[in-house]
Amino acid sequence: MKVVTARFGEIDVDESKIIDMRGGIIGFEHLKKFVLHMQDEKNPFWWFQSLDDGKVAFVVINPFIAKADYEPVIDDNNTKLLEIENAEHVVLLAIVTILQNPFSVSINLRAPIVVNAEKKIAKQVILEDQMHPVQYYLTATGSDDEASMAVD
Amino acid sequence: MLILTRKLGESITIGDDIKITFLEAKGKQVRIGIEAPPHIAVHREEIYKLIREQNIQAANVDSIVKDTLPDILEGLKNLLLKDQQEL
Repeated sequence: MKVVTARFGEIDVDESKIIDMRGGIIGFEHLKKFVLHMQDEKNPFWWFQSLDDGKVAFVVINPFIAKADYEPVIDDNNTKLLEIENAEHVVLLAIVTILQNPFSVSINLRAPIVVNAEKKIAKQVILEDQMHPVQYYLTATGSDDEASMAVD
Repeated sequence: MLILTRKLGESITIGDDIKITFLEAKGKQVRIGIEAPPHIAVHREEIYKLIREQNIQAANVDSIVKDTLPDILEGLKNLLLKDQQEL
């Protein structure tokens, strides 16, 4: 299946890799099909590319790379909705937000995209635990130079 | 907006499978219980809005950082991988 994207031009999508959104990404609920696009295996930043709207793509990262002690709890409703039977099949993606003036990079640990990698279904899940920040900064806020890990 | 008055312990139903029960009232706070099927997302409005805005900003990355994005991601990659190696 060929899809025209704003960022990557025309991409050839392996249909077995298409991720079906259940409930979708908040604010983008109308977009149902996504694909995880990696440009380079060594790069921890991936793209969560919409197939319904080629202009929409999110930079995402495995949240555990940014915060090794991240402990999200997925509630039963969402576990059922995503047909999760084995925790090993779960892949978490945190959406990355980059802002300028002042420069900041944050990832959303409160609402990760939870992917059932075996069944290729996913949803952005809002975690109940309010301790997880919506903006977990990878950079010191306000710095436009060499970034440093900031405590949220 | 439909406005109903309910006593504590009483419920309202919405459709066939959503039930809201009024559990406790204390000053200006009320505790409610919500039963809904898994495909119905139930959220506090303010967190829902915050995440929605964050997502819209995230999707808008190209117009925010323009063509510096590859450099930014490269810098962050080095930062994150360096931290991992130190662990």
